[in-house]
Amino acid sequence: MANSKLNQPAGSRVLLMGNEAIARGAIEAGLQLMAAYPGTPSSEVGEALIEARGEADYYIEWSTNEKIAFELAAGAAQVGARSITAMKNAGLNVAMDTYMTLPYGGVKGGMVIVVADDPDAHYSSTEQDTRLLASYAEIPCYEPMDQQEAKDMTRDAFELSEALELPVFVRSVSRISHASGDVTFGPARQERNQLGFNKHFKLPYRWNVYGAPGPVSKHRWLHGVLLKARDAANASPYNRLELVEGADVGVLSSGVAAAYTLEALDRLGLRPKVSFLKLGMIHPLPDLPVAELLAGISTLIVIEEGDPVLESMVRGFAQERAFPVKIRGKSYDPILPPFGEINADKATAAIAGAMQLPLEPDEREGKREKLRPLVAPRSSTLCAGCSHLGSYWALREALKEHKGVHIINGDIGCYEQGGYGLFASKINVSDEQSKRHPIRSAYEILDTIYVMGSGIGMAQGQAQAGYRDGKVVAVAGDSTFIHATLPAVVNAVYSRADITFLVLDNRWTAMTGHQVNPNTGVDTLGNETEGFDIPGVVRSLGVEMVRVVEAYRIDESRQAIAEALDFKGPSVVVLNGECMLQVLRRTKRTGGATRVDEQACTGCATCVQLGCPAVMFDKEKKKAKIDQSNCVDCGLCVQVCPHQAIAVEGA
Amino acid sequence: MSTNIIVAGVGGQGSILASHILAEAAILAESRSPGGKKGNVRVGETFGAAMRGGAVASHVRFGEGVHGPLVSRGQADLVIALEPLEGLRIGVEYIRQGGIAVFNEERIPPVDVKVGAVRYPDIREIRAALEELGASVRVVSGNRLAERAGTAKALNIVMLGAAFQSGVLPFGEEILLEAIKRRVPRSFLDANLEAFKLGRESEHA
Repeated sequence: MANSKLNQPAGSRVLLMGNEAIARGAIEAGLQLMAAYPGTPSSEVGEALIEARGEADYYIEWSTNEKIAFELAAGAAQVGARSITAMKNAGLNVAMDTYMTLPYGGVKGGMVIVVADDPDAHYSSTEQDTRLLASYAEIPCYEPMDQQEAKDMTRDAFELSEALELPVFVRSVSRISHASGDVTFGPARQERNQLGFNKHFKLPYRWNVYGAPGPVSKHRWLHGVLLKARDAANASPYNRLELVEGADVGVLSSGVAAAYTLEALDRLGLRPKVSFLKLGMIHPLPDLPVAELLAGISTLIVIEEGDPVLESMVRGFAQERAFPVKIRGKSYDPILPPFGEINADKATAAIAGAMQLPLEPDEREGKREKLRPLVAPRSSTLCAGCSHLGSYWALREALKEHKGVHIINGDIGCYEQGGYGLFASKINVSDEQSKRHPIRSAYEILDTIYVMGSGIGMAQGQAQAGYRDGKVVAVAGDSTFIHATLPAVVNAVYSRADITFLVLDNRWTAMTGHQVNPNTGVDTLGNETEGFDIPGVVRSLGVEMVRVVEAYRIDESRQAIAEALDFKGPSVVVLNGECMLQVLRRTKRTGGATRVDEQACTGCATCVQLGCPAVMFDKEKKKAKIDQSNCVDCGLCVQVCPHQAIAVEGA
Repeated sequence: MSTNIIVAGVGGQGSILASHILAEAAILAESRSPGGKKGNVRVGETFGAAMRGGAVASHVRFGEGVHGPLVSRGQADLVIALEPLEGLRIGVEYIRQGGIAVFNEERIPPVDVKVGAVRYPDIREIRAALEELGASVRVVSGNRLAERAGTAKALNIVMLGAAFQSGVLPFGEEILLEAIKRRVPRSFLDANLEAFKLGRESEHA
């Protein structure tokens, strides 16, 4: 085994991030294959397993998207291997087709699906609660409340998966995956599952949903297995039931919400006064401990983050068993909203509200309110010297040559910051049907952003619907190009859509932490590969108009984009510029030679609009200034300045 | 009893490493005392979206009754600010009445300030704001001391030294030094140990 903190001996107490704890759980279970596509906050599961991997311990790869990663894990489990895939909330949407179908017949080797949700959308397009998708796919779902449980549940999920022959879901959230806690290690399983294949393994046509007698028979089988899964949920060592004799109120929770609930109950002095149940598995609903909690109480308080998932299940169960209990959660007479993150304060307020307990007023809140305006925002920006800054400037200049209201469809990656705006800028909201808004910086260039690959599809819809008020453009990075845009490019060629597609190629899956992709030139374990020829692929798909330029040469890029915009039909411009952070790491390059000539600077602030965090503006002097502490001498601001007032000395 | 600390800074300054050193020290302190584990150790982190230069606050909690990863509003015993504005952002929301805030004085202006859209508050205003909330504030020339110790990257360890000097941390110097040794790169160990010492000796303004 490689030297990593995940490979310490059983009994060690180690500070682990939730994702690392999940990875350790997989190691303790004798993992044989891991496949994933990076997605914050799930990526460190794969990174930790890459770091911990010794020769031939297990196969691991960064796949080209979550669906393919899911299918690798499923295939491995069909031949009997223990496999894991980990993804963010939106990743499960990508894997959805196979994900919904695999439970019809299940698996042979243990297969664990880790999904890290993101309440409060810290790093995500939505706050979707994928616990609903565990019950939708009808598979067992663990929900860890801390990092120790994240490890232990992952390990146990492999065992349960093998016992039930079903994939098992481990649902994490940002506050588990990206938080750290002390974790005590268990022993790592040394033996590995034997591999084999039998197409009629225990069921006819086991790995073929259409095989006689067809999908319904496998759906029936699945429901039989779910009864056994319920027994496992009832017997789960992660259920924690604290029954208080004579208590009128019960509190139900699971996952990280249970951690907040425990703190809230302590704070309100309710620990020995109300009954409390924390569930370890939330699907299937463990009916035995829930029935014990409901017996004798008149009010049930459900504290959960996200959608009212537990609450809805318990409402149905309470109605079925005729428990005369009032249920307070998120649905009716709500004590918590079904959006945003919760925390110990919100859990405290919700419980106090439901029980009509007085809360001590926060006497300093008035002072805080007065002090908050002093706290300047810190807007998210692209890095100093980022190639996307050059690409966006070139696009902006090319668009200036055309009148109208252009639509720039964004996508997912670092470059999505081109649609974030700056927190301090004023937004002009209006009800006009069509309006051209100024692009005052790189952070105002993108008009639509949804999910991986959606930009180029939506661009085609806008163009094919007949939108002619301006140009229709889509942008995507190299990893996104491979992940989700290839069928869309084919579609644009086939339907002759009049759109321009910019591929911002920085060679890395940068935003999630610089994972590799087929375009990087190395594989998951660092071995050199052939690389991936984006322009060649685009041409082979039938795009006639393809231009390849260097993102750091703004005028050439502008010209190429301008030609592409003029072209009738689908056009593609590939803008090359390796991620500057990678360049800096590799070359140990340092900046510090870029200067503003204060005599030549007119204070026009054009350079500020570039959006580089190393370009500053002195409002009193009305002069631009370069922040030497993070300037990398990329030369973009030099090209942008209309008065030749910026230069890289010695260049 | 529980201890609640937040290390606030900007991406790349090492606030997460500093928080992990504190958490590691909490685990070590328990392992060296009779009875072993007494409570949970938690670090809540926010990072991810912006690769570099974004606000990073790392919450460290340990002791009895600790379950979740986040310090509750108004409950931080100690705020360690690697950057003044980020210390203010966290301090205003989280510092408890009677809490201690240890500030590095060197600013990293956000892009919003660089482009002239908003104003960066003066260090005196920052101090006054936290004092108004009942905190005591100490200001350290962290960058200068880190450079004197041999590497600008040791800013986080200078600030741990200054924070240790505040007396809030419930473990001894040898425990914290052991945690530092376990976590910092070996080639920078001497510089970091010097940084810790300089942080401890720093004149608190």
